[in-house]
Order: sequence, then C-alpha cells, then structure tokens
Amino acid sequence: MFNWFTPKRETWLFRVNPALKFIVFFAFLIITLVNQSLPFALSQAILYGILFYGFSGYSMKKLLLLSIPLVISFLSTGLTMLLFGKGETVLWQWGLFKISEESIRHALLLGSKSLSFGFVGFTFILTIQPVLFFYAMMQQFRLPSKYAYSFIAAFRLIPAVTEELQIRRNALKVRNIQFSKGVKGLYERLQSYTVPLFAQSIRRAQRIAVAMEAKQYQMGAARTYYYPTRYNRIDVVFVLIMIGSLTLAFLLSVYQ
Amino acid sequence: MKKLKFTDLLITIMIGVVFGVLMKFWDDLYTVVKPIMPVARQLLYGMWFMVGPFAFLLLRKPGTAFIASIAGASLSAFAGHGIEVLMYGFVQGLAAELLFAAFRYRRYSIVIAGLAGVASCLASFGLDLIYGYAALETWALIVKYGLRAISAFIFTGIFAVFIVKALEATGVTSLIRPVDKKEYTMLDQ
Repeated sequence: MFNWFTPKRETWLFRVNPALKFIVFFAFLIITLVNQSLPFALSQAILYGILFYGFSGYSMKKLLLLSIPLVISFLSTGLTMLLFGKGETVLWQWGLFKISEESIRHALLLGSKSLSFGFVGFTFILTIQPVLFFYAMMQQFRLPSKYAYSFIAAFRLIPAVTEELQIRRNALKVRNIQFSKGVKGLYERLQSYTVPLFAQSIRRAQRIAVAMEAKQYQMGAARTYYYPTRYNRIDVVFVLIMIGSLTLAFLLSVYQ
Repeated sequence: MKKLKFTDLLITIMIGVVFGVLMKFWDDLYTVVKPIMPVARQLLYGMWFMVGPFAFLLLRKPGTAFIASIAGASLSAFAGHGIEVLMYGFVQGLAAELLFAAFRYRRYSIVIAGLAGVASCLASFGLDLIYGYAALETWALIVKYGLRAISAFIFTGIFAVFIVKALEATGVTSLIRPVDKKEYTMLDQ
C-alpha cells in the first residue's frame, strides 16, 4: 500500500521545504477560492494541472488513476450547478431542471475551482513526507511541538484504527446484526461502529501521552529536533516560479 | 478556566483523526447515495459537522471543538480530499467553538450541541457562497441548506450526545474528565 506512493523520479518539488510548500499552496488556493472570474479559474486549473501531471514525479498511469475522483467531483459539482443554478437567459427547461447561460458559467467556474483544489492537494501530498512536514512546521513556522507531535502520533495510529473498523464490521456480520430502517437505523449503525472505536482510540492516545510525559516530554519547553529542516536555494526558486506562473495565468485570462 | 493538558490535546487530535477515518468510509456511502437520492444525501451531510461538537462533549474543555475539527479535516486532506477541506474544517470548528464559548463552556445539552452543529453549517454555507456552490435557484438553495441544517442538528445534537453517553458507560471518560467534587467526598466517607 505504502509502496504505491514511491515516485518514479524525485522532481525539484520534492526538495522544497514542505512547510513552505504548504503555506504557499494554501495562500494560492485562497485566491482560487475567492476568485469569481471564469477565465482566471480556467487558467489556474490548467496551471495546477501542469504542476500535477508534469512535476509530481509519478508515472502517468498512477496520475490518471488519481484523476478519477477529480473528474467525478468535477462532473458532480458541475452537474448540480448546471441543472439547478440560478439564471435569467434560459436555454432549456424540463420540470425542475433548467439550464441557463449563467448556470453553465457557474458550473464551469465551480468545476475548474474543484479541479484546481484537487490538483494542488494531490501535488502536495505526493511530494512530501508527512513526518518531515510537521518537523518543518515546528522549525520554520513555530508550530508548537505539542500539536506537531500529537498529529504525528495520531497519524501513526491510523492503520490500527482502520483495522479495528474492519474487525468490528466482521464481528457485526458474524453476529448477523440487523439494523432498523430510517434515522433510527442510521443511529444504531453509527453507535455500533463508533463506540468501540472511540473507546479503544481514547485509551491508546492516553497511554501514548502518559508515556511521552514519563519520558520527560514537556509542552512549551525549548527543544532540539531529530530531523533538522531549513530553507534552501530551491525554496526561493519555488516561490518565484509559483508567483510568476500565477501572474502569467492571470494575464493570460485577462488578455486572452 | 480548565486548560488543555498534553493528554487532552493528544486525545482531541486522536478523536479528530478517527473521525477523519470514519468520514472516509461515510464518504463512500454518501457518494453512492448522491446521484439517486438528493434528499437523503443532504440528510447524511451532518456527519461532517459532528467532529468538533463531539470532541467538546467528550472532553468538556475550551479549544477541543476547534482543534478536533482541524485534525479531522487535515486527515481528510491527506486522504486526498483536497486542501479546501482544511478551510471548511477551520471555519466549521471555529463556529462550533464560538457557540460553546458563548455559553461559557458549561452547557453540554442536546440543544446546545445541536446549535453548535447548525452554527458549523452556517459557517460552511458562508464558505460555499464564496466558493460558488450557493449560486442555485432560491428553492434549491432553501431545500439544500435547510435539510443540511436539520441533519447538522440531528448528528451533532442528538447522535453525538447519545454516543458520548454510551462512551461514558464504557468508563473511558474517567481517563479524561477532571475528577468531580463528588468523587472526593466519596473518599472521605
């Protein structure tokens, strides 16, 4: 499973400081979020598409596989907007469904926004190591160590959580548990899965915290780091390329 | 005010992460229901607002709703749902946190927890407006977000409160909640 996430080659994006990469991507996506112009949204989607397909360093086969959910979310968000979106110039109407020029525009805007988010999100997770990301957040952006280590510890426990969920599912199946219909059944289902899962996770998290404190982990104390992370020349290059290409995308959308 | 100890923080983040895993499975159900039953789909949506209020009901300390919400969202983001989930987690957690803060973190009832869910729903609606999800016909807008708010109340109010009660019965909450005055007096007898 985890072997799947080894890239074919390590591109320059891999060498960028992971925390800086996150902050830059996040800031750029806020621009995507608030932007309401369709041409700019399209050119951003193309820009981030180039980033994803060209520089994430994974084979095209894997990238296309990862694109499937992106295409589905593009279609599903776009389709709702297309059929139920508000608009004056109606092109086609059938009962509650109504397609207008405005709704087509909105559907495309929404679709390209969700593509941009998907491309950037995948580019980020494909080109970082989660542990180093939290170390860099502590060292370059002063994230308090208590949050970083809690996240790392909790993320480590994910395989245990999914395994427990699987066991619970099998246990319920073996006992042939029947759930009621409707909202009551929904609650029964939720309760029968979550209660054992949470009870176990809380015990485990508490034990880890006690163990860390027993080994003299102190919140807020000055500390050194096992993995030192720092800024390199590539970080400057990264920031310049990102700002440059976004500016280019903006100019192209204005003077198309 | 009771401050978060390291144990509380780790448990809060763990709850967020477990919710992230659950939401991943919930998402499969949601995707199946999505095209065929638009109404049922909105009624399932409350699950996404549950993490923050649930964490607060369990730990009963300030900050937990916000932190758990962010933790859940970051797991979803790492699981490939994109960075916008993180933005949603941020505003939803903040809204729930502010609602609990408005009652000085002293109310744990169904109504208050449900209202926290509705507040999260409102906050996510605000983000939807900016994103562009909300440019729908007025009737569609009211149906969509009305159902979503109802669902938020059911999940964060009713479901979360009862699940926390069930967890109290297992005894794990004694690990995390501060010791009651009542328990001290029991020692004296």
